[in-house]
Amino acid sequence: MEVKLPEIRKTEVLKYLGYNGQELGSALEEQLRRCIDAVASFARPRLTYRIFDVKNFEIEGLKLEGNDIRELLKSSKQAIIMAATLGAEAEALLRRTEVSNMSDAVITDSAQSVAIESVCDAFEAKMRIFYREENLYLTDRFSPGYGDLPLDSQRLLMDALQTEKRIGLAVTPSGMMVPRKSVTCIIGISDRAQKLERSGCGTCMMAEKCVYRKQGRVCNGQNHT
Amino acid sequence: MARTILDGAMGTMLQSLGLGIGEKPELFALRNPEAVLSVQKDYVKAGSDVLYSNTFGANRKKLEGTGISTEEAIEANLKIAREAAESENRKIKVALDIGPIGELMEPLGTLSFDEAYDIFRQMVICGQKAKANLVIFETFTDLQELRAAVLAAKENTSLPVWATMSFEENGRTFTGTDLQSMAMTLDAIGVDAMGINCSLGPDEILPLMQRLRTYTEKPLIAKPNAGLPDPKTGAYFITPAEFSEGMSKFSDIGIEILGGCCGTTPAFIKALKKASGSTGKEAAGQAITKKISGVCSAAKAVPFDRINVIGERINPTGKKKLRAALAAHDLDFVRKLAMEQAQAGASILDINVGIPDADESALMKEVVQAVQSVVDLPLMIDSSDPKAIETGLRYFCGKAIVNSVNAEDAKLESVLPIAEKYGAAVVGLAMDKALPSTVEERMQHAKKILKKATEAGIRKEDLIIDALTLTISAQQDQARNTLEAVRRITGDLKLHATLGVSNVAFGLPQRNRIAASFLTMALQNGLDLPILNPNDQVMMDALSAYQALSGDDRDCQNYIERFSQAEEEKPKANQNSEMTLEEAILKGLGNEARLATEKLLETTEPMKVIDDYLIPALDRVGDLYESQKLFLPQLINAANAAGKGFDLLKSRMKKSTTQSKGKIIIATVEGDIHDIGKNIVKVVLENYGYQVIDLGKDVPVETVVKRTIEEDAHLVALSALMTTTVQSMKRTIEALKASGHQCVTMVGGAVLTEEYAKAIGADYYSKDPKQSADIARRVLG
Repeated sequence: MEVKLPEIRKTEVLKYLGYNGQELGSALEEQLRRCIDAVASFARPRLTYRIFDVKNFEIEGLKLEGNDIRELLKSSKQAIIMAATLGAEAEALLRRTEVSNMSDAVITDSAQSVAIESVCDAFEAKMRIFYREENLYLTDRFSPGYGDLPLDSQRLLMDALQTEKRIGLAVTPSGMMVPRKSVTCIIGISDRAQKLERSGCGTCMMAEKCVYRKQGRVCNGQNHT
Repeated sequence: MARTILDGAMGTMLQSLGLGIGEKPELFALRNPEAVLSVQKDYVKAGSDVLYSNTFGANRKKLEGTGISTEEAIEANLKIAREAAESENRKIKVALDIGPIGELMEPLGTLSFDEAYDIFRQMVICGQKAKANLVIFETFTDLQELRAAVLAAKENTSLPVWATMSFEENGRTFTGTDLQSMAMTLDAIGVDAMGINCSLGPDEILPLMQRLRTYTEKPLIAKPNAGLPDPKTGAYFITPAEFSEGMSKFSDIGIEILGGCCGTTPAFIKALKKASGSTGKEAAGQAITKKISGVCSAAKAVPFDRINVIGERINPTGKKKLRAALAAHDLDFVRKLAMEQAQAGASILDINVGIPDADESALMKEVVQAVQSVVDLPLMIDSSDPKAIETGLRYFCGKAIVNSVNAEDAKLESVLPIAEKYGAAVVGLAMDKALPSTVEERMQHAKKILKKATEAGIRKEDLIIDALTLTISAQQDQARNTLEAVRRITGDLKLHATLGVSNVAFGLPQRNRIAASFLTMALQNGLDLPILNPNDQVMMDALSAYQALSGDDRDCQNYIERFSQAEEEKPKANQNSEMTLEEAILKGLGNEARLATEKLLETTEPMKVIDDYLIPALDRVGDLYESQKLFLPQLINAANAAGKGFDLLKSRMKKSTTQSKGKIIIATVEGDIHDIGKNIVKVVLENYGYQVIDLGKDVPVETVVKRTIEEDAHLVALSALMTTTVQSMKRTIEALKASGHQCVTMVGGAVLTEEYAKAIGADYYSKDPKQSADIARRVLG
């Protein structure tokens, strides 16, 4: 189903661009605004999810590798599997921008990364509130590529959700999601309060190279913990 | 009108009979044929006239690793379907059911048209052998994949072909195809029935079918889901009665072929069958099919019921830069031309790739694919080579125009059958071997072309006559004749008319003044498809004024919008800059950089401007980026600004001195489609003065090696984003080394590190675009 795109925050986009307090100037400010507006008008985010039962720390019917996912689901009886994409329209916008102006393209690319994250955040927040009323708690969002959950688990999650049919999200033979600005993730549903630590870097595949981490900062502002 | 009742869901039914999560229904049938047979027999009992075989995902990609071949899966499942069809004593057809391959096609994904075609070819040949009565392609969302499928069926079997796509409520598929484009495209390649299946319930699909009914005369198929699923569980809720109630409205609008998709069961089909035996009596009358001809791309229909500008700029005749770009396969150059024309108001783009010593057909394929990856305009395939025309029509997704035939028999006989096969519109030049001089000659030629085209099966609405614009500086009386011919072609023969408008003024000063007036006169005489340069303001202004005068532009809205904008922008254009070149580059201001370069050129030699101003400015940009005084967008803006200076300098330098600082091959490796990093590096390297040959993304190992040797390049830059594709980066480096060609490799990409780069045998690791420029300097100077 199609979902609303939350506002794309400029400060977030700048973070993805490796911004470090440089003076922006009016031309660049204008450029940022223009690119962010284009993403907001072209992206047509779509999202699909299903609730699966969890038994013995495993999602029923899905064979996921690694200990981290078991750890995540250790107190969960159910789990949400979710997939979201900014859609082929966003991808086409990026393709055109890469031809017309590479600098616009870099900003557009970052704005789209922010956009798909914010779609996931909004979904997560909504579900968190929904389940809280039933006295249930959600774990962090956990995606293939985090920790020891292999990247190619994407395929399993996508099959389970029939993402190609439902939101037009497929995967290439080399394991890349297309459209590229897409996310798959798992969220455990537990009757116990959860310690959230997604913004801890230990589980991120980019941890070794992250410029924020080198500067002693984190990439998503505040810590959930 | 008798209705044809299809079946309902298969997957949902099999789940209740033991199909496991993630298990393939096609294979389940092999171990449990009785289950599939019982479902299909139930559909027969419920009243299905056509059974879809349980072969939706029986393509070789999806069956890979299962130990079962496409042939085995299709044969076994068709046998079951035939047995079910023969279980009752009435005529029940078996349709070979084929769904999408499961991978996305280029340019979104990596699956090529040819590979998709071959996968479908294998399936339809099996289906015909296994005695299917027809082929149904269903649940497609990518029109190009569906085209590959339909062409495979039509070219390799004699079976009727049905095709249905899945739409969102807004009337578009996930890849952006709208109803009218689907209808035009599928009509063009000659499907026997088309429609909509899956994704939505009857109520949501009804308004879409109402629209589709007005776009095509073909029999229509509606196979909706049992309403919308609960997102949490995926379950469907509506009852058979509700479903059949919803479906009865389809009959009312003359939809003949009805069935159910996900969530429907034999009970739904039974209710559907019972509801009414035939389509509503007013159906035929209500379903008014507007017979509008036109052309389309995958996502945009351009009806021929108004004036449509055909952009002429992708044609190398007399255009040195484009010729060089085509020879060098510089597709970004062509993409830019396409985007500029779309921006300027072209509705259709002419594509001509005729350059000497090139394989025109191969180049046509490259250019058509490149252009349709960035603009959604229909194309006009312009060539004198029937092979190149066919290639263009085959790879263009949509309904195109062929440019052109003339009244010569040989020409008509070689080109019309190709146009007919792909359902393209056709431009007929009103000439034979010789150019016409009188109106009458033009009319004779037009009539002959009309006759031959009709005989070849081309619809009259798809014929466009070019009455030929001749040059008034040579033959002044011809303009009058051309105009009169246009009037008679459109008025008497009721055909569409095109003209290459600007030819009229060849050899005269201020050509576009004459051409613009000629355009106005020709429009007044009925010209509806002018070929011109949409970036020529004077011409487009004339068109805009004409449309305001003719009333096509309601309330002069477009005219007002066009010209009130123009006034606002004026003061900006006159800006004078006192910035130095370095300032302009540091600030990333292209126009200012150009002005500053211009100024320097008044007193300084071009080469000296480069060495003493441009390169030092770029170095300073690099230093500032390194020390984090600038960040990435600023670096690229600076490189782009420097590029404006370079362009100007190059145009001022003699040929011999414009040699680049060296050639660099750049590519995103096989299997990887993330090319933004590669493209950033390309822009920066180009603006440092290197000639960068961009091979694109997902580039096969062999192509990198072949092109590196062909171009005699000594630096190869490779990009990969993911750990999975770093492996193909490694293979590419190994192959380059094994080829014996002297070259150095540099690599970059998100997951790479210095050590990782070394481990896969790369000579250099580049952590950012600045560093790649440093490496280029070290390697090439």
